[in-house]
Amino acid sequence: MGWLFYLTQHRTEALGLLGEHLLLVGTSTLLAAALGVPLGIWACRSAAARRWVLGTANVIQTIPSLALFGFLIPLPLLGGIGTTPAIVALLLYSLLPIIRATHTGITGIDPAVREAADAMGMTRRQRLWQMELPLALPVIFSGLRVATVIAVGTATIAAAIGAGGLGSYIFRGLATVDNRLILAGAVPAALLALAADGGLGWVEKRLGRR
Amino acid sequence: MNVGRRPAVALLCCLLPLASLACRARRRVVVVGSKNFTEQLVLGELLAQAIENPEAVKAGRPPAVTRRLDLGGTFLCHQALLSGQIDVYPEYTGTALTAIFKQAPVSDPAQAWREVRDQYHRLGLEISPPLGFDDTFAILVRPEDAAQWNLHAMSDLQRVANRLRPGFGYEFMERQDGFAGWSHAYQLSFGQAPRIMDLGLLYTALAQRQVDLIAGNSTDGRIAALGLVQLTDDRHYFPAYQAFYAYRPAAAANLRPAFARLAGRLDNRTMQAMNAAVDLQHRDPAQVAGDFLKHLDVGASARQGLPTPTR
Repeated sequence: MGWLFYLTQHRTEALGLLGEHLLLVGTSTLLAAALGVPLGIWACRSAAARRWVLGTANVIQTIPSLALFGFLIPLPLLGGIGTTPAIVALLLYSLLPIIRATHTGITGIDPAVREAADAMGMTRRQRLWQMELPLALPVIFSGLRVATVIAVGTATIAAAIGAGGLGSYIFRGLATVDNRLILAGAVPAALLALAADGGLGWVEKRLGRR
Repeated sequence: MNVGRRPAVALLCCLLPLASLACRARRRVVVVGSKNFTEQLVLGELLAQAIENPEAVKAGRPPAVTRRLDLGGTFLCHQALLSGQIDVYPEYTGTALTAIFKQAPVSDPAQAWREVRDQYHRLGLEISPPLGFDDTFAILVRPEDAAQWNLHAMSDLQRVANRLRPGFGYEFMERQDGFAGWSHAYQLSFGQAPRIMDLGLLYTALAQRQVDLIAGNSTDGRIAALGLVQLTDDRHYFPAYQAFYAYRPAAAANLRPAFARLAGRLDNRTMQAMNAAVDLQHRDPAQVAGDFLKHLDVGASARQGLPTPTR
């Protein structure tokens, strides 16, 4: 339990890192949703669009995080070191679950409902906003939930590019062979992931009940 | 992703004793260990291949070597050596003094080696002569900055420190002999707080002008590959990190001829080149070590009659 003692002793520092961690996860997940949902919708347009969008998101997922940071450092605007490339990397890693959920949610709608919408003379835009998105919302939300939980864990890697977060404890612990420090970063990150999953699960249930 | 490694380590801890027992039951073998980074893998391979030397093979009695390379860090290696699960592994004087024996670091290389040897003796272990290189912290800057501000030694930094953006790895920030002690010894106050990030990414960040000064490792192949300038430690602040092999006396008969071949033959430039061959040219550590040994033997026969390197 040395890690718990360490955390209580370094409360201010730990809370600061927790704040950085939450900021990284929150910003990257919101941006990923803003980018991923439209991409998921676009992927429903045609088989070619689906192949390109999902294929790219799949490939991004396989890039090791340190390699991705290495590619990002020389980039202007999106790259460099610090918080910006960390958020960009987390955003990229969050895209796949969100795009896939959006695509699954929309293509999973009963074709009869779509035919009914078309028969009522809805335009493509009306059909999307009034029928497809509301019906797909629970599935999209569950994708968002998965993305958030994964991002809480993945955000520990942000410490490798100087963006802080709970990963700082893990990296410092690894560098000094100090299990106490590693746990001081890993345990709160795991608890945070559980809390995020529980909280979003609760919201999801409320959405479903509506 | 850090969590994912733990089951692997646990599995390793369970398999290691079983594997070494199984090997020993057949005949006396030398088990060579190493830590889990490039230089250690190369040093482990070098020793393993030096033990499996051509003369012994010709005589029909090659000593059997088992490789237990890539063990997770100093403590795992030391514990494995103490308990006899490995017979030998490469270590550094500074690391042994501070991390294993919890002593104050020593900056004189010869004195550090003697102190380390005495400490190992107390545990019933032996150490080889120094291999020749010193894997210490290297303070690195871009060549154009070094030229512009006339930087050669670390004390030259005092003039320009407030204009430099430093970037350091977690180890340099945490260690007793790292940032705090170093900046105090050279009385440096940088213009901004150091960027703390992964050491591997720092080299790229330096080359891409995101930071201006980093602390790397003096045998890293990227120093030469990126043409970085290493400042000399003119106040002798950093302790000696001379490489040597720590070993169990029971394996001495098989190890000593190999040590005699390697001792003093690996200078910083040679080690940098071998690390670069693995890290930057993506060659196999075993191949790199094999090439070096071939080269060493050719060189040795050409130099016949000269005294053997320091023992």
